[in-house]
Amino acid sequence: MAAIVDIKGVTKVYGRGDVAVHALRGVDLTIGDGEFAAMAGPSGSGKSTLLNIIGALDTATSGSVVVDGEDLGGMGAAVLSKLRRERIGFVFQNFNLVPVLTALENAEYVLLLQGVAKSERRDRVRALLTEVGLGGMEDRYPRELSGGQQQRVAIARSIVAEPALVLADEPTANVDSATGDSLIDLMRGLRDEKGVTFLFSTHDAKVMERSDRLLLLTDGLITADGVPSDVLQRG
Amino acid sequence: MSAVFAYAWRNLARNRRRTAIAMSAVALSTAMIVLAVALIDGMIGGAVGNATNLVVGEVQIHAVDYVEERSFYDALDDPAHVLAGARERGVAASARSYGYGLVAREVKSAGALFWGVVPSDEIAAFDLAHHVADGSGRFLDSKPERKLVLGRKLARTLGAEVGSEIVVVVQAADGSLGNELFSVAGVLKAVGDSVDRSAAIMHADDFRELFVSDGRVHEVAFNTRGAIDLAELERFASTLAPDADVRSWRTILPMLSDMLSLADGAMWVLGAVFFTAAGLGVMNTMLMATYERMREFGVLKALGATPWRIVRDVATEALLLSVAGTVVGLIVGLLGAHILQIYGIDTSTFAGETSFAGVAFDPIWRATPNYYAAARAAAVMCAVAVITSLYPAILAARLRPIEAMRRV
Repeated sequence: MAAIVDIKGVTKVYGRGDVAVHALRGVDLTIGDGEFAAMAGPSGSGKSTLLNIIGALDTATSGSVVVDGEDLGGMGAAVLSKLRRERIGFVFQNFNLVPVLTALENAEYVLLLQGVAKSERRDRVRALLTEVGLGGMEDRYPRELSGGQQQRVAIARSIVAEPALVLADEPTANVDSATGDSLIDLMRGLRDEKGVTFLFSTHDAKVMERSDRLLLLTDGLITADGVPSDVLQRG
Repeated sequence: MSAVFAYAWRNLARNRRRTAIAMSAVALSTAMIVLAVALIDGMIGGAVGNATNLVVGEVQIHAVDYVEERSFYDALDDPAHVLAGARERGVAASARSYGYGLVAREVKSAGALFWGVVPSDEIAAFDLAHHVADGSGRFLDSKPERKLVLGRKLARTLGAEVGSEIVVVVQAADGSLGNELFSVAGVLKAVGDSVDRSAAIMHADDFRELFVSDGRVHEVAFNTRGAIDLAELERFASTLAPDADVRSWRTILPMLSDMLSLADGAMWVLGAVFFTAAGLGVMNTMLMATYERMREFGVLKALGATPWRIVRDVATEALLLSVAGTVVGLIVGLLGAHILQIYGIDTSTFAGETSFAGVAFDPIWRATPNYYAAARAAAVMCAVAVITSLYPAILAARLRPIEAMRRV
C-alpha cells in the first residue's frame, strides 16, 4: 500500500522561551492509500495541529512532511494552494460552508478554483450531492439545512475534486449521534467506492470504533497506533 | 466570471444597511461632482459665451497699434479682403469702427465710444442685436436711420429711453466738428462694464458720415461659436491679415481666461475632496466586511483559493458597490444639472448684477450638463473604490489559512 502521508520527526512549537508550547514533539506517521484512520486524544494533545500540518494549512517547526509524494517543506503559498486544491479535501468541525453560496455552489467551489467548465461542474456536483443524500437540496443555502445536511455538503465539497486525502477535524462533533453514524457510513462508503483516504481527529468513541486504524496522541506524541479495539483496550 | 459577480453581489447583500450607506456616499459624491462641474461649466461657459458671442468674438483683428493707442487713425489696411476671406470659409465676421465723442440729452451729457457697425453682419455673427432689454426698443435697422443703441448705464446717465433725442458731438477725421441729432432705437441689457457705460452703437454709414471716416474700420471680429478651434481660427485670421494684430479672446480678456484655468484647477481640488471622502467610505465598508469574514477567507484559502483570488473577490465587491453608487449618482447629478439648466439659480436676489473682467454674468446661473466630465468622474470614482478596497483585500489575502480560520 503506497503512503499518502509520510511524516518524520515533526515538531510544532508555538511561542518562544518560557511561554513556548510544544504541540508536537517529534511525530512519525505513515498513512497508506485508502486508509480510514482516526486520531484521538485529549484536548491539547496535538490532533488538530497534526491535521493542519498534514493539510498544508500550517507549517512544522521541524521534521519532514510528505503528502501524496510532495515534500511540503519550503513550498511557497501558491504551490501549497494548488496542493490543497488538487490533492487534499477538508471537512471542518463547524462545517465552514460559505453562507452566501447554495449547497451546490459550496460543493462545486473547489472545481471552480480548478477551472472546470460550468456544465461539467454542475453535473458532477449534482450527482455527488445525490450520492450524499442531498438530492433536491442543491439550491438551498446553508441556513436552510440542518447540521447533518451541512456536514454532508462539506463532505461532498471535500471529495468533489477526487483528492488523494481527506482530512476531517471532528466531523461529527456538532451533530447528534444518529447523524454522526450516518456521516461515518457516508465517508466509509466513499472510501470503499472511490478509494479516498480519510484521516480524522475525533473525540467520538463511535468514530474511533468504526475506523480501521486508531492513533492515540498524548502531549504531542503518538502513544498508541493500531486497530481501534486494541488501542482502546490499552488506552 | 458571472459566478464572481454573483458571489460579490450576495456578499454585498449580507449587510444591506452598511452597503446602502457606502453606496449612498459614492452616489452623493458622484452627484455632487457632476452638479458642481455642470454649474461651474455653466457659469464659465455663460461668461465666455457672453464675452465671445455678444461682442468680443473669438478672434479680433486690429491695426498694429490700435489696441494700445486707440487712435482713430490706426485703421485696418484692407478690411474688405479680411471680410471676404472670412465669408469664403464660412466664418461669421463683423467689421467695426470706433470713435470717441460726447452725447447729451437735455441738460445731461456723457462721454461715449461710438461704434459703427453693419447691422446685418453684427446680427449674423453676434448676439448683441438680441441683447436689447425687454421693452427697451430694438437693435439697428439695416438702413442708416440716425439711430443709436445705447449701453445700459449710459442710457441711465442720460435719462434716455427709446425715442429720446440725443445730441452727438464728435471730432471728425478731417478735424471738423461732427454734430448731429440721433434718437434712441434701443437700450442694451448688461454686457460688461465698459460697454454698459460708454457704448453708443450706430449704423456704419451714419458713423462714416458723422466722423468723415472714409470707411475706416478699426476692428474685425470673428465668431464661429466654437465651430473652429481657437488656435486654428487665430492662424486663419493671421493669414488673412498678416501685418495686423490678431488676438484671441483669451488674450483680449486675460482675467476671464485665467478664471477658466482657475475653475479647472478648482474642479480638480473639489473632485479630490469628494473622491477621497467616497474612497474612505468604501474602504471602511470593505474593511469591516473583510474583518467579519476573515474566517471564511481562511476556509476558502484552505480549499485552495489563491491570494489573488481573494483580492479579486474583495475588489469585485468594491467595484460592484461603486458602479451601483456611481450609476445612481450619475442619474441624480445629471438630472439635477438638467433641471438647473432649464430653471437656473436666480442670483440677482443675493448678488445683484455681477460682472467680472468686464464681462457680465447672467443673473440666472444655469448649469451646463457635461457628459464627458460625468463619465470621467464615474470612472475615477470606480477606480478610487477599487484601489481603496485593495488594502482590506490584501490584508485578507496575506493571512495564512490557519490564522484566518482562528478568527471568530
